[in-house]
Amino acid sequence: MFRQLRARFGGPLAMAIVTLLGIWLIVMVTLPQLQMIEYSLRPNLLPAQIGGPDDRLTLANYATLFNNDIHRTIFFKTIWSSVLVTLLTLAVSYPLAWYLAKVATPRQAALCILLLIIPFWINEILRTYSWFIILAFRGPLNEMLMMLGLIDRPIRFLSGNGGVMVGMVYAYILFMVFPVYNAIESLDDNQVRAARDLGAGTVRTHRRIVIPHAKPGIATGCIMTFMLAAGSYAVPALLGSPGSRWFTQIIYNWFFEGGNWNQGAAYAFLLLVLCIGFMSLIMKVFKVGLGDIGK
Amino acid sequence: MDGSVRLDEVVMRFGDFTAIEKTSLAIGSGEFFSFLGPSGCGKTTLLNIVSGFLVPSEGQVYIGDEPMAGVPVNRRPTAMIFQNLALFPLMTVFENIEFGLEVRGVDKRKRREVSERLLALVALEGSGPKMVTELSGGQKQRVAIARALAVEPRVLLLDEPLSALDLKLRQHMRTELKAIQRKTGITFIYITHDQGEALNMSDRVAVMSAGRIQQVADPMTLYRQPATGFVAAFVGENNRLQARVIDCEGERVRLDGGALGELAGRASGSARLSNGEAAVLFVRPEHLRPVEPQASGPKLEGEIEAVHFEGAWVMLETRLVASGEKLRVQLGHELSRSQADTLSVGQRLVFGFDPADAVVLPDDGSPVVDEETGEVVEGRPAAAGGAHV
Amino acid sequence: MSSQRFLAFGLRFYVVIFFIYLFLPLIIMAAATFNDSRFPTVTPWDGTTLRWFGELAADRGMWQALRNSLIVAAGVLVVAVPIGIATALFLNTVTSRAKPFLYALILSPLLTPGVIIGISTLIFWRQFGVSGGIFLTVLGQATFIAAYVMLMVTARLQRFDRTMERAALDLGASQWQMFRRILLPYLKPALYSAAVIAFLQSFENYNTTLFVVGYDTTLTVYIASKVRTGLTPAVNALGLILILVTIAFAAIYELKRRREAARAVQGV
Repeated sequence: MFRQLRARFGGPLAMAIVTLLGIWLIVMVTLPQLQMIEYSLRPNLLPAQIGGPDDRLTLANYATLFNNDIHRTIFFKTIWSSVLVTLLTLAVSYPLAWYLAKVATPRQAALCILLLIIPFWINEILRTYSWFIILAFRGPLNEMLMMLGLIDRPIRFLSGNGGVMVGMVYAYILFMVFPVYNAIESLDDNQVRAARDLGAGTVRTHRRIVIPHAKPGIATGCIMTFMLAAGSYAVPALLGSPGSRWFTQIIYNWFFEGGNWNQGAAYAFLLLVLCIGFMSLIMKVFKVGLGDIGK
Repeated sequence: MDGSVRLDEVVMRFGDFTAIEKTSLAIGSGEFFSFLGPSGCGKTTLLNIVSGFLVPSEGQVYIGDEPMAGVPVNRRPTAMIFQNLALFPLMTVFENIEFGLEVRGVDKRKRREVSERLLALVALEGSGPKMVTELSGGQKQRVAIARALAVEPRVLLLDEPLSALDLKLRQHMRTELKAIQRKTGITFIYITHDQGEALNMSDRVAVMSAGRIQQVADPMTLYRQPATGFVAAFVGENNRLQARVIDCEGERVRLDGGALGELAGRASGSARLSNGEAAVLFVRPEHLRPVEPQASGPKLEGEIEAVHFEGAWVMLETRLVASGEKLRVQLGHELSRSQADTLSVGQRLVFGFDPADAVVLPDDGSPVVDEETGEVVEGRPAAAGGAHV
Repeated sequence: MSSQRFLAFGLRFYVVIFFIYLFLPLIIMAAATFNDSRFPTVTPWDGTTLRWFGELAADRGMWQALRNSLIVAAGVLVVAVPIGIATALFLNTVTSRAKPFLYALILSPLLTPGVIIGISTLIFWRQFGVSGGIFLTVLGQATFIAAYVMLMVTARLQRFDRTMERAALDLGASQWQMFRRILLPYLKPALYSAAVIAFLQSFENYNTTLFVVGYDTTLTVYIASKVRTGLTPAVNALGLILILVTIAFAAIYELKRRREAARAVQGV
């Protein structure tokens, strides 16, 4: 590997490339993750006890999750809600991606994409905060619903999971729209026409032609959305209530309120395993490789 | 300034594949030398060995008697003109031409002098400040030449530089390349699969096939005295007739053409022909002409299968009545108007040729490879119109 | 056919609704800035005011957080851009059986939840006595932003014609001169884009930052804490300013990108 680099860039530059890459992958990516795992396997000890007889490898920190009903419930709720957010986001994004890729004229598509990008550039916190205002107890949504006579008194949107999920769909939708759009766009128009021509209806055309072609894009979108949803701290913190906590909030509490980093590390590692597991599952179901996701 | 190039027992292998068989060759200083061959014959590999992009597996390259082993690309006294030109698109014409001087630390005033002079040489005065992306194909070609010349190479290496141009421009650039070479006196090593280019411009041509040099000679010799069956078939167009040697008398060879009767030709190449040996007689379409059936000398009777009118000449595709082999015949002004008007498919004609124009080579069993498709064909493949001649 | 037409109409209607959904929240948030109410809302409208901008300007915590955000973003640029370039060059040059594994490792920061990157960075540096703060925030953010930079540089590098490199060497350039004069200028547009994206990613990052920021505060963390404690429409004023700055940024970036694309179509 180094030989090829040196042949192209010369010794000093090849050295610099390898050094930068090495520092990044070893010191910033790999070692911290390994250290986190190692941390999660040790008990939380006072400084004086470290290196003492109690300082041994144990799975106790993982057992905590299964012995603590509340944490376990929140863990599974986080999984379930994240899956739901992913599916919702896909459902909302797919028609839009289809429109952008195959229905809109090039000018319309260009304008829409620009309009899509603008909110994407805006801070996630601000986007989430804007829903905080809308969903507030005395906010515009409740006012409107009351004005229309649909409800008699305001609803507490911000106390359940609903608000969190709406906020997440809103925050992560672009991570779904763009991969799906890119995938559908590469589909040959003639295939759609041929399917129509052969008598396939709209639903069948999508099910048999468009969706199979867009699989890598859908997989990428689902993986990104799930990862962002399960790992989100901002949205549940802003739009949730103490009764609708997210697993990331538990992790945060272990670190900064419980002061038990070892326990927090175990929970964080479980979250990572969850994301990797979901990614592997999706890649298997959709039969796509890592190379497709890099796009 | 010695721009001679010498290859001394150079071999190039890529893994198990031998791209260049053991090759020795001397190219004189100031010579216009071409490597001609079908794609995949190893000519580009040889060029890359001379330029230093490849290090030969065995052997040594000398430029002006200096061994080039261990001399990297950027220190060799060569400059390359690439097939896609590889001009730097983010730079102006001036910056492109001066790049080689700039990296050598030549000061700006001197650089500008050189580039102005070279722009004049390639007839692009005043184009210096333009971006290369604004230029036409032919202009880009000239900038590429000027850029290579700016570093005052002793040897200029040209890798099919005209292949991207359209036909007219290509023919025009041939003349210009030749003129520039004469003016500068630099050794040109030119790679091409287009025999028209090679024959037209070169002092000498090396014909290559399958990693081996088949013959090195001046264009006329290649045409008149091919050393191998490959050269005979690849350079120009040739009909290929299987025969057996009856006897030799100096250069003149009498042959037994089987069903075709007695034939005759001129021995070419270095190998001796012995009586009774299998041989191949090569007769070029342009050397065949219609004769009276009673005329003396070798005769071939063919039935016309197709008539291609090419303007200056007519190309006939015929099939020999006696053997069923194909015979292509090119007729020019020896055809009277009334004769030309009556040529028709199915007509039988008798063709004769001067044995001094037909070449006899031992049947080395080497199949002839179609230069366009790379397929093995029997006899000479149908030429793609008149462009080559 | 009429059902087809109905579907097409339905799709268009859906797209319009979608964009309303996309922008209405931001507009409502912006509008709430001008409502003379103690709590950020548009209902009821208590009169129009600009006083929340004044309150914001007087907020020293906000200015401190902004300063930190800018320092962090600058630090991230310094760390992540060279790493991203080096990685792209590496992937573009090397062929090896280990490459798929390395590629997976290189992409992994993009597929890891931000909180985990923050946590692992925090834990790793504790053993060296480094606790949360601006330094760790830079490192944590750069860990995944470098991967974004890599993707953008790679995209352009893949379209690079390597004969250009050969030509430069053939004309006598050293490998460094080739890099400096040919490759780097070619990559320049991608580097600008990457720098802009890296800056923004850093500026708006919350999940990773939250764990490594320590007692310092970046603007995003500051906004989040304000929303939860001591919420006033001054937060909306800040949001509005940030949105306007971002849109200006995005517009300039988009324009530049389009001009590049147009030039790429014309020539080269």
